[in-house]
Amino acid sequence: MAIRTVGIVGGGTMGQGIAVACAGAGLDVLLVEKTPELGQEALAGVAEALDRDIAKWRRTESEKRAILARIGLAEGLEALEPTDLVVEAVSEDLELKISLFQQLDRLVSPDDVLATNTSTLSVTEIAARTSRPERVIGLHFLQPVPKVPLVEVVRGLKTGDDTYRRALEFVRVLGKTGIEVFEYPGYVTTRVILPFLNEAMYVVMEGVASAEAVDTSMRLGYGLPVGPLQLADRMGLDEVMRWMQYLFDELGDVKYRPCPLLRKMIRAGHLGVKTGRGFFEYDAAGHPKPVSGEGKV
Amino acid sequence: MKVLVLNCGSSSVKFQLVETDETSAAAGRDRALAKGIVENIGGLAILRYEAEGRKPLKETGEILEHKIAVERILGLLTREDVGVLRDRREIDAVGHRMVHGGERFKTSALIDDDVLSGIEDCIDLAPLHNPPNIKGYRAARELLAVPHVAVFDTSFHQTMPAEAYLYGVPYVLYQRHGVRRYGFHGTSHRFVSRRMAEILGRVGDPTLRVITCHLGNGCSITAIRGGRSVDTSMGLTPLEGLLMGTRAGDIDAGLVLHVMTVEELGISEANALLNKHSGLLGISGVSNDMRALLQAESEGNERARAALDVFCYRLKKYIAAYVGVLGGVDAVVFTGGIGENAAPIRARSVAGLEAIGLRLDPERNAAARAVEAEVSADGSPGKIWVIPTNEELLIARDTMRIVSGLPPE
Repeated sequence: MAIRTVGIVGGGTMGQGIAVACAGAGLDVLLVEKTPELGQEALAGVAEALDRDIAKWRRTESEKRAILARIGLAEGLEALEPTDLVVEAVSEDLELKISLFQQLDRLVSPDDVLATNTSTLSVTEIAARTSRPERVIGLHFLQPVPKVPLVEVVRGLKTGDDTYRRALEFVRVLGKTGIEVFEYPGYVTTRVILPFLNEAMYVVMEGVASAEAVDTSMRLGYGLPVGPLQLADRMGLDEVMRWMQYLFDELGDVKYRPCPLLRKMIRAGHLGVKTGRGFFEYDAAGHPKPVSGEGKV
Repeated sequence: MKVLVLNCGSSSVKFQLVETDETSAAAGRDRALAKGIVENIGGLAILRYEAEGRKPLKETGEILEHKIAVERILGLLTREDVGVLRDRREIDAVGHRMVHGGERFKTSALIDDDVLSGIEDCIDLAPLHNPPNIKGYRAARELLAVPHVAVFDTSFHQTMPAEAYLYGVPYVLYQRHGVRRYGFHGTSHRFVSRRMAEILGRVGDPTLRVITCHLGNGCSITAIRGGRSVDTSMGLTPLEGLLMGTRAGDIDAGLVLHVMTVEELGISEANALLNKHSGLLGISGVSNDMRALLQAESEGNERARAALDVFCYRLKKYIAAYVGVLGGVDAVVFTGGIGENAAPIRARSVAGLEAIGLRLDPERNAAARAVEAEVSADGSPGKIWVIPTNEELLIARDTMRIVSGLPPE
């Protein structure tokens, strides 16, 4: 069955991004927020993001209108009854997610796929608390959702093949590539990128090279669009820390030990782009300020 | 013969039912019995339909795929109150508009498995257009067990010589990826140039030199000698050549690389920049609609004026260049929404070309709107005409000729 209408629970940055990706692909979206005010805020956020896209020639005014016209606000989870797939994108709180999934489980057709956008919580655990664990799956969208063409399609222990295929098809309709991932801490993307960022921090801490030199080496040496330390700044150093700690706790391997320099910078309030300073300094628009010395481009 | 003409986009199907045969086509008396469009397929679709002597009709309803759209169209064509057929079996053939035929399709073709796979091979060259065209064909084939014919936007230009179609890049790109000029709007250029030859009484004359300007949402210009395209302004993609509503047309290829660097754009953003944010809209910041721009210009909007100046200047440059290519010109034809309706644009585009034999009659020009009319002055060595295009009719005629076993025109 083709997916035509997507329900999205949670209108934060992730929910907004997923809504834009869906509406941009021609799907109808029903966005559920806790209150009408939060719903309006989410729509305003979507409109602002689309305006930024227009300023960068990514979209046109008419595409913006078409996208906004496809996103409807819904009050209460009951409104999601006619949707073909529901993506939950609320904050990373296991009890909250389980309670949502139990309600959705009662409300939407037993054939419908329920997807969670979790990046840390267990799909298996959420699924187990519903009556349809084979129809529950994880969809890990990366930020910013409309721009990153990848989605990790995360199979819990009981996720059915049919559910996986439908989720993969949904991702394809969004114009993105889905990769099959079996639930495990950090999946693929987070698990592989974080030790890379962490190691770059160790190199700086040990005085091997400056932050600028590390980023320049990795950018030019391996053709990356952005160096590891600037990437960490963009993600937010507190987020990177939280993630490293999570992998360290879950997997218990010292290779996930957060770099002490990272800890120190967070204590100093240097959280990256969002505070204007991390490994580099940033202006109000989030562009890096020029770094003096060699390696400057 | 009754031919159903289908033009399938990603979420739309344009259709016409045309009654034509060799005699009526030669006399220009063949005509559309019904026509319309289904838009927004995949959701709440809108279907517009009008038939000779019947009240126009507009319906909305969920249409999820092309096949259902075609089914609905057949339903209307045979419906008692608005239909023009008693039975869908009265349809003798279906003509499909196909955007890209690559180098293989130099004429229209009866679709069989081999032809279909040839069209599929061209998907790389027209990733947005060929797939829905093919989808429409597959849908129609299931519903109508009659011959289906593919009519390509590119095939008319396959007569261009290598000097016109090769780009100055490593030849291996042509060999490996088919990187060359193909040109588009071929059906329109062919239709109006043929009509021009008829008006001048020179059909089949190998020395006839015609320049056709198709000015619509997309714009292109073609130099035609003896009914054969010898050069055209659109290239590998429909982005090259004239300034268009939202497309840049000719630019320095280095500009793209420079802008991508300084604005930190990716490929899809650069693509949108050049295709959707440039052209008349990009320069003026007002609109891509010619009427709105002429209005804004008359109210003193300087950027609207600049956009129109670039549009007309570029067109004039191409006309003059093609006069050079053809070694003179017998007629210039304007067609498409802008070409047929915007008299001031026609006037500005040929102003100053008197020296190469093109002299407009201002009054005739101002009076010509969406009708076939001469707009050049008496005694102008090169004629200037407005000829409304009719791509569907040409698709129907090609289909009829192939199905009847007649040689291509």
